[in-house]
Amino acid sequence: MNSGIDLEMSFTQGVQNLGLSHELAHLLWIPLPMLLVLVSAVIGVLVTVWLERKISAAAQQRIGPEYAGALGILQPMADGLKLLVKEDIIPAKADSILFTVGPILVLVPVILSWLIVPFGQNLLISNVGIGIFLWIALSSIQPIGLLMSGYSSNNKYSLLGGLRAAAQSISYEIPLALAVLAIVMMSNSLSTVDIVEQQNTAGFLSWNIWRQPVGFIIFWICALAECERLPFDLPEAEEELVAGYQTEYAGMKFALFYLAGYINLVLSALLVSVLYLGGWGFPISIDWFSSLIGVSIDNPLVQIIAASLGIVMTILKAYLLVFLAILLRWTTPRVRIDQLLDLGWKFLLPISLVNLLVTASLKLAFPMTFGG
Amino acid sequence: MLGFLEKVADYTKEAVSAAKYLVDGLGVTFDHMRRRPVTVQYPYEKLIPSERYRGRIHYEFDKCIACEVCVRVCPINLPVVDWVMNKETKKKELRNYSIDFGACIFCGNCVEYCPTNCLSMTEEYELAAFDRHSLNYDNVALGRLPTSVTSDPSIRPLRELAYLPEGIMDPHELPANKKRAGKLPSQIIEELKKANSQEEANDSNDNVPNKLNSTN
Repeated sequence: MNSGIDLEMSFTQGVQNLGLSHELAHLLWIPLPMLLVLVSAVIGVLVTVWLERKISAAAQQRIGPEYAGALGILQPMADGLKLLVKEDIIPAKADSILFTVGPILVLVPVILSWLIVPFGQNLLISNVGIGIFLWIALSSIQPIGLLMSGYSSNNKYSLLGGLRAAAQSISYEIPLALAVLAIVMMSNSLSTVDIVEQQNTAGFLSWNIWRQPVGFIIFWICALAECERLPFDLPEAEEELVAGYQTEYAGMKFALFYLAGYINLVLSALLVSVLYLGGWGFPISIDWFSSLIGVSIDNPLVQIIAASLGIVMTILKAYLLVFLAILLRWTTPRVRIDQLLDLGWKFLLPISLVNLLVTASLKLAFPMTFGG
Repeated sequence: MLGFLEKVADYTKEAVSAAKYLVDGLGVTFDHMRRRPVTVQYPYEKLIPSERYRGRIHYEFDKCIACEVCVRVCPINLPVVDWVMNKETKKKELRNYSIDFGACIFCGNCVEYCPTNCLSMTEEYELAAFDRHSLNYDNVALGRLPTSVTSDPSIRPLRELAYLPEGIMDPHELPANKKRAGKLPSQIIEELKKANSQEEANDSNDNVPNKLNSTN
């Protein structure tokens, strides 16, 4: 396996050639990928919102947004702009500090989790050794923010929504972590880069989805529940709870919730593609393909094509999953709170435990295919 | 032990059938994506109201005899008929007539009972106003005829579902000059008349056996 393009190395070397020290060069480098990922996350959200509105419209035989930009592509921008200039209201009897901290505490861990999403060999902010574990840890901060905003709103709908969000997040975190654990066991690493690399030995045949079909389904269901997407959108069930924990929010604070929800959806889709669908890997192995047409894999042109193909593949896989999530939204009815907890504790948890056990025994029995 | 295994098997079967239903549902949703939108792009496209549409009421001042039947049959006695008795001619003299469309329910009772047919229902339904008092139409406003959807060049008129030819579900892809499915009311009346007269003729012929009839 070659090391691929290393932008950081070339950047720091370029800056060092200008006469700056290594530490300073590193310091200059750090904000660049962060900014890039932040911008791409926000653009990803705008695209997702547009897709959601357009696909929802198509599923209901409507047209959807049409006049803001070509095919209404600027509609989410217009929505965001509207929320930006709206009055920021804090209810008189609400706890203003908790009320303000709540949405921030929901958004920040979601954005932080983008730290570990790889778009290529070296195309991620930081290849943290505990990568996927970091994501699980960060995502359990979110329910605290939800509960905080639900409690501080001083509104019974908000409180109920916050409680539901907390209950839901906590109960679905466990099967989610167990599904990830099975993957980690197979790839012997918590790092997302290693997980993807280990999947890309033989094109799409070596993707984890073939070795972990049950884990894939568990992870997807749990990810939907974590994002509060429709079969599991109880915390903001508009027919029962007005808007759940976001009932009292307006303007930018509401926008933070909105943004967090969609960033989380894109993030979950990206992580499913990383964990189960071979991340940046092309369905056909690039190594094999380049040897077929007789070009060295170390050829710069091949490297650039492979890197951009990797980014496109990651995003394509993620957006296919987003599409599936939107389709599921208009197909499945909302579950009741008892059904939700039943599904989490009585179905997903035992199944994911069995899945973990089976993976472990398969790893012992066939160390070749299940990563000994 | 066996009972437990049976339970597990049942549970699995249930889970599999649930998944199957879910996939079926996804198929339905997915299939809807390729269908054409059924919505009417309102300010640019409008449906042609049906011929018995009960829209804003039209009123002809000159025909009115100020009998106040419309007021009596109205569920809330809405029309205001402002008349005075002319003592010399001993006739009612109508001064003003108004209906408040903020309160009218468009039941059409007044139109039904008007003895001189001075009231009629139009196809106008866009009655939005900034002030509810401007919905109180006087006899001048009531006498205005609405512009037809079909005569407005800036609007694309669309036929309602019942007015589409057989086999066509979408008014957008309507071939020009295609008649609607079924017969027009006038045609049905004509046919009924014909059938009735024939029946009567048959009835009268039944009493006296007739050579002409038998040859038919």
